[in-house]
Amino acid sequence: MEKENDQPEVPLGPDGKPLSKKALKKQQKDAEKAAKKAQRQAQQAAEADAQATEDFSKDRYGNMAMLQSTEKPDRRLVRVEELTPGLAGETVWVRARMHTSRAKGKQCFLVLRQQQFNVQALVFVNDKTVSKQMVKFAANITKESIIDVEGVVQKVAQPVESCTQRDVELHVERVFVVSASAPQLPLQLDDAARPEHDEEDASRPRVNQDTRLDNRIIDLRTTTNQAVYRVVAGVCDLFRSTLTGKGFVEIHTPKIISAASEGGANVFTVSYFKNNAYLAQSPQLYKQMAIAADFERVFTVGAVFRAEDSNTHRHLTEFVGLDLEMAFNYHYHEVLDVIGDMFVQIFKGLRDRYKTEINTIQKQFPCEPFRFLEPSLRLEFPEAVAMLREAGVEIGDEDDLSTPDEKLLGRLVKAKYDTDFFILDKFPLAVRPFYTMPDPQNPKYANSYDMYMRGEEILSGAQRIHDPEFLTERAKAHEIDIEKIKSYIDSFRYGCPPHGGGGIGMERVVMLYLGLNNIRKTSMFPRDPKRLTP
Amino acid sequence: MAVGVEEEVKSLANFLGSPAYKVTTQGEIKVPQLHTGNGKTLTGLATISKFLARSSPSGGAKLLGTTPEDQAEIAQWLEYRVTIVDRSVEKKDAQAMLKELNSYLLDKVYFLGFHFSLADLIMYHGLHPVMCRLSFFEKQQYQNVSRWFDQVQHYPGVQQHLPQLVFLRNTLYTSSDH
Repeated sequence: MEKENDQPEVPLGPDGKPLSKKALKKQQKDAEKAAKKAQRQAQQAAEADAQATEDFSKDRYGNMAMLQSTEKPDRRLVRVEELTPGLAGETVWVRARMHTSRAKGKQCFLVLRQQQFNVQALVFVNDKTVSKQMVKFAANITKESIIDVEGVVQKVAQPVESCTQRDVELHVERVFVVSASAPQLPLQLDDAARPEHDEEDASRPRVNQDTRLDNRIIDLRTTTNQAVYRVVAGVCDLFRSTLTGKGFVEIHTPKIISAASEGGANVFTVSYFKNNAYLAQSPQLYKQMAIAADFERVFTVGAVFRAEDSNTHRHLTEFVGLDLEMAFNYHYHEVLDVIGDMFVQIFKGLRDRYKTEINTIQKQFPCEPFRFLEPSLRLEFPEAVAMLREAGVEIGDEDDLSTPDEKLLGRLVKAKYDTDFFILDKFPLAVRPFYTMPDPQNPKYANSYDMYMRGEEILSGAQRIHDPEFLTERAKAHEIDIEKIKSYIDSFRYGCPPHGGGGIGMERVVMLYLGLNNIRKTSMFPRDPKRLTP
Repeated sequence: MAVGVEEEVKSLANFLGSPAYKVTTQGEIKVPQLHTGNGKTLTGLATISKFLARSSPSGGAKLLGTTPEDQAEIAQWLEYRVTIVDRSVEKKDAQAMLKELNSYLLDKVYFLGFHFSLADLIMYHGLHPVMCRLSFFEKQQYQNVSRWFDQVQHYPGVQQHLPQLVFLRNTLYTSSDH
């Protein structure tokens, strides 16, 4: 047989040598470019031609002048979610974003989006109102532009599966651009909204977390994110209303503080005129001082700062803390009961009031519905240690739980009690801060508790020491400089009721309730050791 | 990858009630050698284990299978142990192997179906270090392998020098967990 050397002839470069692969590619690209340019010119000429002919609907479309509040037209803008068969046949005005547009000859399909709702709209050429030029104009509106549309609501024969408003479409009669978007988007909303674990769609592009965060304002427009931040707002709302209902008072505490509350290891230092100040790691001191000042039951919602250099799925350097503190009569379990019930109320509220949002989020990030018991399950630390040992984990009586242990414990509790939320009481004293009240029966343990959702800690709390002498003793045992916390200790010298409380990370609660895998998904503009913008 | 292969041979001999043979290893990959005492030396895990079973004073010969089919299958698993199990050092290889074994064991109590055999014994020893490293999530992922392994480690006399591994009977992880 002949040798196989009948390869296609290699084109030669200007220097007579055969072109390299790279050069070849370049040549090809140049040719493509030229072809495209010619095409564009032809198109422009055609457009000019079209414009030359009479355009009978030129008053029905266009770019609106920059809106400067010159007039107050008597026009009601209908919300996209209101577009239902009940409005069939009516002419309405809608302001929405151009989600997508697809032109096909004499007609153009648009998807108009408003927050988490969208509807299909149609522009098609007719004799009186819609001209060819108008369809072309509609087709050329850039994605994400904000437009005002007047149209007739029409029932559709077949439901529009891709839209939330499935039973109607809008037949457009006028379209004006209120605010045009740049033609190139840094990410496509459809890519950002695609389920992460979709087997069928595995080959289609997805947007990674960092790209999303870099272009957060666009990412936040996805229906999933629109729903997530409604749930976030819901958690705060439920936290407030439940506690207010239990006689709590909302307080506001300073975030710029003079001394770190628990040693200076993980605080941010800021320059404060001629001295240094710190960003508060928790409102701990202030809520306790409010108790000493007779407020009895207080809560606060605000920023909390942690200067820990941990780059994990569940750490942020700034997050929203939901903190509460309350005086109790005889036993700190009174506090535990209040907090336990508060969580039940939050979970119930989310389940009942945010069904639509949760369903929307599930479409992109599927997960099992959150399970909880009423009243909340309460375990004691030694029980948890016993469960872990039974599962083959080696753990000492007074060891703190490691993150994998916590997760496993969450699984074991779920398997045994069918709940994603539980309270773990009686932590070893050695692993808790100095102001934690020791257990009177067993001084190795403390009147201290954590709460878990899906095996991850969301609240840490305890009965605090309200006796200044004992507090000093415990601070010394922790080798804390008494001088630095003098004002804190002094606040208990003039009589302070026994009290306890806890602090919750809002972003974590939402992340775990929705079964999301990264806390950055529930923080609108997350801050972590590597991210300060946007 | 035959860490503790001497212990393994001794465990097998113990289990089968054989006399205390001298066991050494040969070469870099530590092929076990058994010195029978009358000048003969047997080399290789498959060979040694078959010899121990056949010469077992406590009736271990029945572990070699009674029908030609069973005997052939045992030979197949002995080969699998040496060629696949012992070479699955990388996590990726181990996962592929566990996946394969998991679907094989779907409808079986033991490797031959309903009878405990030399194949189970050899595979138990081979898989022990692999199973040791698994998280609870993975143990559930390969639940047929886990079920078989737990069954075998509780078979009287099998465990010998190896530590017992913990398997949970209830389902901890649901399908949508990641």
